[in-house]
Amino acid sequence: MTETIARAVPPIGLTLRSLLRADATVLLRSRQAAILNLAVPILILIVTNRGGKLGNPGFLIGMALTYGLLSSALIGYSITVARDREAGVFQRLRVTPTPTWAIMASRLAVQLVANLVVSVIVMIVGSIMHNTTFSFGVYLLMFVVSLLGAVVFLSIGQALVGLVKNATAVNAVGRVLFILLILTGVLGSTGILGDDFKSFASWTPVGALINLFSAVLNTSAWGADQTNGIIACIGYIVIFAGIGIRWFRWDPQ
Amino acid sequence: MNEAERPTVLEVQDLVVRYGQQTAVDGLSFSISRGEIFGLLGPNGAGKTTTLSVIEGLRKPDSGRVVIDGVETLHAPLAVKAKLGVQLQASSFQSELTIEQIARLYAGLYGLSLPQRQIRERLADVGLQQEITKPFKKLSGGQQQRFSLMVATIHNPSILLLDEPTAGLDPQSRRQLWDRIEGSRKRGGSILLTTHSMEEAQAVCDSVAIIDHGRLQAFGAPKDLVAMHRDDPRVQAVAHGDVTLEDVFIGLTGSAIRD
Ligand SMILES: Nc1ncnc2c1ncn2[C@@H]1O[C@H](COP(=O)(O)OP(=O)(O)OP(=O)(O)O)[C@@H](O)[C@H]1O
Ligand SMILES: [Mg+2]
Repeated sequence: MTETIARAVPPIGLTLRSLLRADATVLLRSRQAAILNLAVPILILIVTNRGGKLGNPGFLIGMALTYGLLSSALIGYSITVARDREAGVFQRLRVTPTPTWAIMASRLAVQLVANLVVSVIVMIVGSIMHNTTFSFGVYLLMFVVSLLGAVVFLSIGQALVGLVKNATAVNAVGRVLFILLILTGVLGSTGILGDDFKSFASWTPVGALINLFSAVLNTSAWGADQTNGIIACIGYIVIFAGIGIRWFRWDPQ
Repeated sequence: MNEAERPTVLEVQDLVVRYGQQTAVDGLSFSISRGEIFGLLGPNGAGKTTTLSVIEGLRKPDSGRVVIDGVETLHAPLAVKAKLGVQLQASSFQSELTIEQIARLYAGLYGLSLPQRQIRERLADVGLQQEITKPFKKLSGGQQQRFSLMVATIHNPSILLLDEPTAGLDPQSRRQLWDRIEGSRKRGGSILLTTHSMEEAQAVCDSVAIIDHGRLQAFGAPKDLVAMHRDDPRVQAVAHGDVTLEDVFIGLTGSAIRD
């Protein structure tokens, strides 16, 4: 008779462990990502600390945190995914018995953990520079807001690689989007551009997140802006994650 | 073993694949038995890689189906993929990882948690012990081919799908590749490969299919194909002396260069 070489699907635990280890190694080895995600927010803290009263410490630290989260999603995550897709890295992974959700989930999980580590470091550095101390509760809330922000921005990054296929185009569009979001969010939140623009900005992804961070870091300033911020964030996650999953294509071209 | 006794392990039935307006695979059918080395031959753009990508589960066919060990691939994609060892025509791995880390990743994805010592042994088997800390892109073309083949066979698959595995290999590596393929066959594995070397196909394949424009032109053992088409005027016109598989190939697919 025939002895069929029966081969079961590998256990999902081993699959996920293998993917997570590889994705974490990739992240640790890419020095450019480390610079963008950690050094720039710290630079922001240094510059704003010297420049006199640009805003209160909560706002400035919030801005640095937001910058780190946004750049790691739009310039780190999206570009790596688009590049790997174009190079055929995903095709090679997809011919193994690995569910496609696991390939994406592992990348996103590693990215989220890295984001949270960066957030904690930025917050510690920020509190030292601005001579403030934060309670454990504030750290915890900051952690939750960072997670929310990371998910918003990664959803936007996912939508970007869902709608744009070409890696060079993703790179260009990602950078333009990054600047637009930062400018509208940051300039709007400072109020330099007027009240109308300020209330518009509080609904943008970056503006909403800066508002949430400054409310958390200033402990008392919770208001309509913050409630709107949470509503906006959840809305953005639903819309952009939806687009990013619906239109994502694995194959090159 | 006699042909008729061997069970069929892979069956492609009436496969049609379109890219927009263009039909890349047009009603293709063939089958492969256990322990067989099967060559899928055809000029550039004939539809070989496209056919493989459907078998590998990378692309859904517009119609037709692929059955592996009696299971339609679309019904149990992961279980089917676990049986396949794949070397893509253009392989790519994460550029930040060393080949040792890549080997470990792929072992894990096929359900093996190999200790470092065994990973290194496998790399040494294909002569890459000096390169374990290099990323894939820094290997030479032939080293990349050897590494891809090592990854494809890391789990002793029962069906090996190789897209132009000998392209760019030196004679030593090519010989080693055939040893590995022979080894896989001895363990009961079947091999489906594409190649542009008709000499090679004639020497090692138990049977071949010649396709063009996504359609089957001829199918059978190389010597039977030669015997069958020896007197075809198109083959006669291109043959010099003894008719070879290459003469049959050019006779059936024409001598114009493909885009
Ligand atoms: N992703 C794609 N999008 C559009 N057309 C494609 C795509 N991939 C292949 N084709 C077209 O389908 C046809 C078959 O291509 P395929 O890659 O299957 O050929 P092949 O037999 O593997 O050729 P080669 O020997 O050059 O590797 C070609 O005409 C090719 O241009
Ligand atoms: Mg091909």
